[in-house]
Amino acid sequence: MSGFSARSRVAVVGYAQSPIVRHADRPLGAIALDVARSAVADAGLRVDQIDGFTTGALLPTSGNHAVVDGVSVVTSNWLAENLGATPRYVAGFQGFGQIPGAVMMAVNAVASGAAEYVVVHRALHNPPSGRYHGNPMTTAPGAMQWSAPQGFFGPLAMIALPFNEYLQRYGATREDMAAVVTEARANGARIPWSYWHGRPIEPRDYVDARVIADPVCILDCDIPVDGVAAFVLTSAERARDLPNRPVYVSGYGMGNPTPGRLGGHWTLDDIQGAGRVVADRLRDTSGLALSEIDVPQLYDGFSPFVWWWMEAIGLCGEGEAAAFCRDGGIEVAAGGLPVLSGGGALGNGRMHGVPQMLETYLQLSRRAGERQLPSATVGLACHSSANYGGAVLYTADPL
Amino acid sequence: MTESTAAPRPAPVRPVPVPDERSAGYWEAARRGELALARCAGCGTFAHPPSTVCPHCHTADPDFTFVVVPGGGTVRSWTVIRDSFLPGFADDVPFVLVDVELDAQADLRLIGRLLDGTAAPLHQGDRVAIAFEHPTADVAVPAFRLEAVTP
Repeated sequence: MSGFSARSRVAVVGYAQSPIVRHADRPLGAIALDVARSAVADAGLRVDQIDGFTTGALLPTSGNHAVVDGVSVVTSNWLAENLGATPRYVAGFQGFGQIPGAVMMAVNAVASGAAEYVVVHRALHNPPSGRYHGNPMTTAPGAMQWSAPQGFFGPLAMIALPFNEYLQRYGATREDMAAVVTEARANGARIPWSYWHGRPIEPRDYVDARVIADPVCILDCDIPVDGVAAFVLTSAERARDLPNRPVYVSGYGMGNPTPGRLGGHWTLDDIQGAGRVVADRLRDTSGLALSEIDVPQLYDGFSPFVWWWMEAIGLCGEGEAAAFCRDGGIEVAAGGLPVLSGGGALGNGRMHGVPQMLETYLQLSRRAGERQLPSATVGLACHSSANYGGAVLYTADPL
Repeated sequence: MTESTAAPRPAPVRPVPVPDERSAGYWEAARRGELALARCAGCGTFAHPPSTVCPHCHTADPDFTFVVVPGGGTVRSWTVIRDSFLPGFADDVPFVLVDVELDAQADLRLIGRLLDGTAAPLHQGDRVAIAFEHPTADVAVPAFRLEAVTP
């Protein structure tokens, strides 16, 4: 056994999220303050009770945009200071997989007694000018010298290589991905706060979409947005006295560290290897078989992540995800696996793992409204790819 | 005073590498038309790119030396960049990037432009040879050319 003594000892007890828009009419920090206050109120708490803050504040762009706290990013320190809170514990997750990373730190803080009530937030920004990933560099010093001089740059080229590697290895096609993207957009279209609310797409829209880095087309990528979400975590004991049904953190796992390569060079073997690591860590921390997951919210900031997460957690065999999706296996309206029931990032906007955590929380707390699934007992909220990210396993009841 | 004609658009400038203590041997070899890789003095394995620590034996004193390798390899994946986030490649798109496993060492991967053009048929397992392109007169960047196409 793992000795993971925090299992089910910490719970999510409230949340709030801003509308997801292309460009907000208020500064990101102002929105973050509103959202944090709303989340604290949703949890039945006061700001002066919040004594812990965690986030991963990265501005996820390869463009040359200014990083300004309160404007293009919001750190936990900035949020705590501007809320007027006096926390005992403030921490930022460094690296990718910001949502599971920040949740892990919050869980550890509550389980250890470092904090009683922790706000985990994520603030995402779409810079108002300039191309999101565009970078006019003419020299490539440091790590960039190994990749930019030959034109290997930015996340689309990064994801194109393992995406194509997968297609070639398993005989899948770009068209197979239409089932993933249309499912995300179909579910996102039903969600009022989504940027894509009311705007589902047809498979033909996907097939005809502009290809940027073969096989990656524009619809394989989530759209940059302004948006903030916040969650409140506390101990299972304190959660009993709060208004919402608690959702327990019962395990987590990250896939790092991964092999050193050129910056942004992800290989399919690295991704699959890290997927096995994450799955093992989830089983180890939770003590559950992953087949018990009935709300598997898979990350989809780039569409191929969905296939890779499906295979990593055993929803289908290695190399089978493309056919599984093509044959309707994740079409939730037809009784398929609810891997994108919350719309994901493709169906909401670039909220970086928030849609997965939010949908998991809403389903397991039975607050999902008309999207409520009949069976929602064990949820998994994935973020990024296993090789640069991970997942948190939630349960509706303590284990 | 107003311009009577639009100024000609300046030619895009591709990012040129800035060699440093850790990379100078790589770029010097490229200018000679050779691929040289950093080899750890402790365990003799190659690391690309070289870092502070050897990724294989984890010594903090790898004392990397650059060793010329034949530069052949096998295509593991590829992409066609049709729209580059680097404006310096505006006149080069579309172009092919290949993810190559070098013969020099298992799982040692290098990404470079494939100089055969976007129409060249590609398959996993295709053989490529090292090549060099010269974005400026004094800079050589490793790239690849197809050796033979798998039938």
